[in-house]
Amino acid sequence: MSESKILDGIAQVARQHLEWQGPIERRMRLVEDLELDSMRLFTLAAELENHFRIHLYEEDEMTLETVGDLVDAIGRKLAD
Amino acid sequence: MSDASTLAGLLERAAQVPDTGLRLLDRSENASWHSWSEIYHGSLRVAGGLRKIGLRQGDRVSLVFPTGIDFFHAFFGTLLAGGVPVPVYPPVRLGRLAEYHHRTARMFELVRARLILADGRVRRLLGEAVRLAAPPLGCLRLGDLSKDLTADVGLGLGAETLALVQFSSGTTMDPKPVALSNRAILAQVKLLNSFWPALSTESEEEARWRPSGVSWLPLYHDMGLIGCIFTALEIPSVLTLIPPEVFVTRPAVWLRALSKYRATVSPAPNFAYGLCVKKVRDEELQGVDLSSWKVALNGAEPVSPGILRRFLERFSSFGLDPAALTPVYGLAEAALAVSFSDLETPFSSRKFARQALASEGRAQETPEGVELVSVGRPLPEFEIAIRDPEGRAQPEGHTGRLWVRGPSLMEGYLFQPEATRKAVVDGWLDTGDLGFFYQGEFFLTGRAKDMILLRGRNFAPQAIEHSLDQIQGVRTGCTVAVSHMPEGGEQEELILLVETDARASAEERDRLPGLCKKTVLTAVGVLPDQIVLLEPGTLPRTSSGKLRRQEALQLYLTDALEASPPPSPVGLALALGRSSLAMARHKRKPRKVSWEPADEKRAER
Repeated sequence: MSESKILDGIAQVARQHLEWQGPIERRMRLVEDLELDSMRLFTLAAELENHFRIHLYEEDEMTLETVGDLVDAIGRKLAD
Repeated sequence: MSDASTLAGLLERAAQVPDTGLRLLDRSENASWHSWSEIYHGSLRVAGGLRKIGLRQGDRVSLVFPTGIDFFHAFFGTLLAGGVPVPVYPPVRLGRLAEYHHRTARMFELVRARLILADGRVRRLLGEAVRLAAPPLGCLRLGDLSKDLTADVGLGLGAETLALVQFSSGTTMDPKPVALSNRAILAQVKLLNSFWPALSTESEEEARWRPSGVSWLPLYHDMGLIGCIFTALEIPSVLTLIPPEVFVTRPAVWLRALSKYRATVSPAPNFAYGLCVKKVRDEELQGVDLSSWKVALNGAEPVSPGILRRFLERFSSFGLDPAALTPVYGLAEAALAVSFSDLETPFSSRKFARQALASEGRAQETPEGVELVSVGRPLPEFEIAIRDPEGRAQPEGHTGRLWVRGPSLMEGYLFQPEATRKAVVDGWLDTGDLGFFYQGEFFLTGRAKDMILLRGRNFAPQAIEHSLDQIQGVRTGCTVAVSHMPEGGEQEELILLVETDARASAEERDRLPGLCKKTVLTAVGVLPDQIVLLEPGTLPRTSSGKLRRQEALQLYLTDALEASPPPSPVGLALALGRSSLAMARHKRKPRKVSWEPADEKRAER
């Protein structure tokens, strides 16, 4: 799956499940820019798994800080 | 093991009763069945392995597991080996690893954990926390233990030994390990089980159902572990368990499980009922019938009457019984529940004059007042006393600090004799909560302790306030973080009362609300609901200069939060020298700053 498709998928999940209205860009930080508290970080992880039909393992995802990190991690999972 | 005076004894007894145990649902709602017998035998194997590596009686074993069968083997295995289990929460998803390490290491250290048992995936994340805490027996997975069944297990147990250490007031800065004996936990569990509705006998078909529960609550929390798991073990009965993360993303799974397994009892905190109203869609509830649900306990957080009404409205067409909604009060230091509202009637609420409550500590009913939900009466064998700060008993209708006496109080905070002496005085537990009795029913008004309780998590106000100190334009040490349930609101809101630096420029002031919001979110992971900018010197302090948070909140809520008059002619001159705009603002009530669009604010709920 192309990077832009993954980004679109993340934007779709953010709109649908986090009611995020703005744009989603690679450089955005999950906590500071997307304003995600613990429960919403949790929701994002779970809904991305549903959306992309992947499983993000905790040890991978704990180091993710930006949307770009997420795009790369999802890309790696999809390639596996 | 001799009798059922311990948790391990209850498990051994339950293992003899066929068709009882745990049903674990995964995120596709597939069930896996684990009888108490299977859990008992799995736990014996773990206990053997623990003895073999040198676990001694009374050793604390920290358990870091997601909801799953391994948790139970580790928990009861620790007890059977003579150890004391200390459940600790697994990491949240996506980021915040440094904060997690720090907090978890602190918990390991506080209980002087001799061993950490962890889920395989979680264990790889615990490296830093394990390194900081350095438990003598290390951090192991269940698979690392030998399956030796010849070890001497299950000995030396007794009702007075510790059965569990659970963290209460689990703020980042000051988590408190609550030590509970087998006797206390069994007393609590028996009281709860005597409260549930009797087995339905309307028809033979229904009579075959044992009382059963459904829980999605985390296992490191008293409501989930003591209120759901141990009660099911004591009957013994069947409990259906849903991982918390499944509930949070798909709350309909909870309601479907209640229906499918004809559950009678299921507790949850206030936010969970709100989440169902917000997220569950009709098409997710095809064929759902909630009529078996007789006890929908609502505790652990302040109860919102609005949420209860909306939940009822939303799900009554699915058979929800209005009498099921049961607000309750309890705390980890009392092993869980202290008071229950009536199980047979719908919840009750009354409106009280806010001013009389805030300034005179008097409950005066008035149609325009703040609506409070009754949390009922003390459980049998429990007593609640309302006392003033000097310890004098308060009459009905007067607010005060809530003290509790009963059969399931903690032994104390583990390794914290000073904190224990403060908390338990002559057999009475100081809950730190405020409330009053009115016509025999008990109402909560707030907390004497400054702890902030939001979305199921506890926060020390200091952690939030300190994070604001670095911001340009904020007066260092002059901010207050408080939470409260707004009138007609759905859940507790976080309010920041922030004194601004007199030298701050207009642009700096304009940027402050947004900056404060992002800073707090980054520091502690929670989004403030309101940021109130104040003139310097507005916040009330003690004579020693400490901030008085609850007083600041009450002043703010009653529009009485104003800067104190400048203390000296020099101060007066300075004040006069400020711009007319600042002076005008000085006299108005604090500026409520809207820093986010309405849509975004809704999204947070």
